[in-house]
Amino acid sequence: MDLDDALKTYIIESRELLEQMEDALLRIEQAQDDPEIINAIFRAAHTIKGSAGLFGLEYIVAFTHVAESVLDKVRGNALHIDPELVALLLESGDHIGTLVEHAAQGDEPDADSERHGAELIARLNTYLGHRDEQTAAKGGMPVEHAPQIEREGGHSVATDNWHISLRFGKDVLRNGMDPLSFVRYLGTLGRIIRIVTVVEAVPPISQLDAESCHLGFEISFQSDADKATIEGAFEFVRDDCLVHIMPPHSKVAEYLDLIRDLPEEEMKLGEMLVKCGTLTLDELKKALQKQADWQRPIGEVLLENNIVRPEVVAAALDKQKQVKDSKTVENNLIRVDAEKLDQLINLIGELTIASAGTALVAQRAGISELQEAASTLSRLVEEVRDTALTLRMVQIGGTFNRFQRVVRDVSKELGKDIELVISGAETELDKTVVEKIGDPLTHLVRNSMDHGIESAEVRLAGGKPAKGTLRLNAYHDSGSIVIEVGDDGGGLKKEKILQKAIEKGLVAPDANLSDKEIFNLIFEAGFSTADTVSNLSGRGVGMDVVRRNINALRGSIDIESEPGAGTTIRIRLPLTLAIIDGFLVGVGSSSFVIPLDLVVECIELSEEDKYAAEARNYLSLRGQVLPYMRLRDLFDVKGERVRRENVVVVQYGNARAGLVVDTLQGEFQTVIKPMGRIFSHVNGIGGSTILGSGEVALILDVPRLVQRVTTQVEKNGLELA
Amino acid sequence: MAQHEKSKAATAHFAIEGEMTIYRAAELKDTIKPHIDHAGVIEIDLSKVSEIDSAGLQLLIAAKLEAMIRDKQLHFVGHSKPVLELLDLCDLGGFFGDQVVIFPLGTH
Amino acid sequence: MAKTILVVDDSASLRQVVSIALKGAGYDVIEACDGRDALAKLTGQKIHLIISDVNMPNMDGITFVKEAKQKPEYKFTPVIMLTTEAGEDKKQAGQAAGAKAWVVKPFQPTQMLTAVSKLVLP
Repeated sequence: MDLDDALKTYIIESRELLEQMEDALLRIEQAQDDPEIINAIFRAAHTIKGSAGLFGLEYIVAFTHVAESVLDKVRGNALHIDPELVALLLESGDHIGTLVEHAAQGDEPDADSERHGAELIARLNTYLGHRDEQTAAKGGMPVEHAPQIEREGGHSVATDNWHISLRFGKDVLRNGMDPLSFVRYLGTLGRIIRIVTVVEAVPPISQLDAESCHLGFEISFQSDADKATIEGAFEFVRDDCLVHIMPPHSKVAEYLDLIRDLPEEEMKLGEMLVKCGTLTLDELKKALQKQADWQRPIGEVLLENNIVRPEVVAAALDKQKQVKDSKTVENNLIRVDAEKLDQLINLIGELTIASAGTALVAQRAGISELQEAASTLSRLVEEVRDTALTLRMVQIGGTFNRFQRVVRDVSKELGKDIELVISGAETELDKTVVEKIGDPLTHLVRNSMDHGIESAEVRLAGGKPAKGTLRLNAYHDSGSIVIEVGDDGGGLKKEKILQKAIEKGLVAPDANLSDKEIFNLIFEAGFSTADTVSNLSGRGVGMDVVRRNINALRGSIDIESEPGAGTTIRIRLPLTLAIIDGFLVGVGSSSFVIPLDLVVECIELSEEDKYAAEARNYLSLRGQVLPYMRLRDLFDVKGERVRRENVVVVQYGNARAGLVVDTLQGEFQTVIKPMGRIFSHVNGIGGSTILGSGEVALILDVPRLVQRVTTQVEKNGLELA
Repeated sequence: MAQHEKSKAATAHFAIEGEMTIYRAAELKDTIKPHIDHAGVIEIDLSKVSEIDSAGLQLLIAAKLEAMIRDKQLHFVGHSKPVLELLDLCDLGGFFGDQVVIFPLGTH
Repeated sequence: MAKTILVVDDSASLRQVVSIALKGAGYDVIEACDGRDALAKLTGQKIHLIISDVNMPNMDGITFVKEAKQKPEYKFTPVIMLTTEAGEDKKQAGQAAGAKAWVVKPFQPTQMLTAVSKLVLP
């Protein structure tokens, strides 16, 4: 059996379950005793254990078993959940995670994790009220040993075969069990030498309840299997059937007991046993002789034959109804291979291009019907594209929730009391972006807790509540997702940053920097402002790495800080990395695409402005300074300058800039093709796309351009005349 | 699935088609019983039985018993392969006393 | 014709392993991720056996079995329930719902095959 794929599924599944478990454990402190949450935690552990057994991952089964037992007690209200237990369960969850990773690596837990596991088991056991570490550590189920068959008195029968005597309960058929299926199964354990179907209890058809079972079998059976295995064949009907299994060479007296125990007449039964070859005629005679000697009262026999067991009482049914009512409501989701989605989105990209091409041809052909059809097609393709992109969108809440744990753990580590407030959890963004945002966010969160939020004494002295607050927020803004990490700490200290930067030689001592530039210095390599390097910030990962990660996602990062009131770090990321609505512009014979949601407006560049602008390097847009840049100059486009140029006003974050182009060609759906390595050094280009005509257009990296244009203006210290 | 019937005054011939399982046990009982009530000789064709389980077997036994008690003749004919397999499994061929066409089956 | 088994469990890996084992033994397998999903997949086709977990989201196994047994096509379909050693109370409720066969989690694929073949041989 090739279980590699299944094991992969198991690893992924377990990671998810552990995440859910952690999530639920963190919520449970607020939602005390919510049976749904407790059940969710239990179920996670239960599922991890159950599936681990399938893969023979005994070390996971063993450990999870103990945690599950504790959770079962909580579920049954036999144990009250308190912060200490939550902490222990969180730790246990982590340990299960470690074990699952061992399984993923295909190795066994090392001595360290074994020791840690044993320590956790000991602590969990205190909740179970027993110190039976031996069983717990093994985690195995008690093995049922077949009772030793006692043999006493009389001589053995001659046959080498087992004898199996079966009388099925009358509900067996109704319960979906077919008596013959058990007989067939016996056939897989050995050889049925003889079988006698006991029909004595079957009534004539006029009195038959066709769904009740009245059948029985006497079977002479040859097998090397042990008694437990043979008995096991009937485990599912054991409760409401008469099953007698006589090992080879059982005593005659034991057969006598059998004959007495069965409902049929003695002679009849005896005949059957003889027919089966289990007893010889001689043996039967002897047995019946003995029976006659005993003269047991018939009443006693009947009593012993009373095999009907009380069925489940009505009360159980009521209880079960309550179970049904408390069923959980969870999202109805299907799991799709991310690769398939990527493939779909790629295809839709091609479709978008093809559709744009069709529209172009239709326009040139000048056939109005064709144009209409093409525009319908474009609209549909656009909808398909949007829908397909949403398939890959996931809520950021899942990522945010992970920080409950981080904040909890780090608070403890730092000895600070910090609360995490999450908002905008439902904000969606592309899965590929989400995957890459975790690490930078973790770093920012840790940094805010470590350096941002002051110690309780300092906070109280500053008239703030002792408990610090860390905020994670997300929202959509002009085609981007904005993620904020905010704290109500002391704020960034400009002088300190500047001083440190000068010390480190990052800036010249006489540099004239804006507030923003000073704040941004913390993103420079090897920058640390904390007076004492704590456990957290000494990890060698600087804020520079954070900025680099964000930039790699075509995003940007900026800081807002108020002395004494706190700091907010704002990350701005594109919603998706695949397709954008573009605005097509022409410069000379080249085409460029500007992401449409970054375009604020388009204006004509008047002659007058042109001269003024050339002198000052900025435009005046309704009295506001608008730094600008000529794409013709930037990309060194050849060809005649046109007489009437246009300015596309773009905005990224809070900064605006004008991009001067020759022609405005309108909206255009753009599939981003990654740039080859050769172009990766070209500043200001974020990718390329193929136009409907087959020509290539470059996609402008507007964030980069805006940054470049605005800093230029700030550097030159220009003021509006 | 339907039971075909061509009864003469004292003889009933009919066939059971499809599965003879617990799912249809009650229905088949109601089909078989009236024939035993109304005919002296009953012949039940089992050649179209596609599947048979313990409930089906029990019906065959109960029908035979009914006939025996009421002194009527009941024969099963044309046993299909699943029926033969089952009779072989529980060694009941003799009980019904019908002629069955024996063809090699896997031994149990 | 191969016998068809419906496997209901919220663990995808468990379904995958059980499914591999059953298919290897010659059964056809239909998978469902919870009781609700399983009910939706009972569309009148012949199912020879149902294997169902108890504790699942959306609809638990006991409710599912009860509902399935309401449908005439599945009134007599045998059910193996998957349980924990701690689940005695569930076992009673399950028995009342019509599930008489129980297999204790965690189990090895071969254990499941053995249990299945007691009720339905391939």
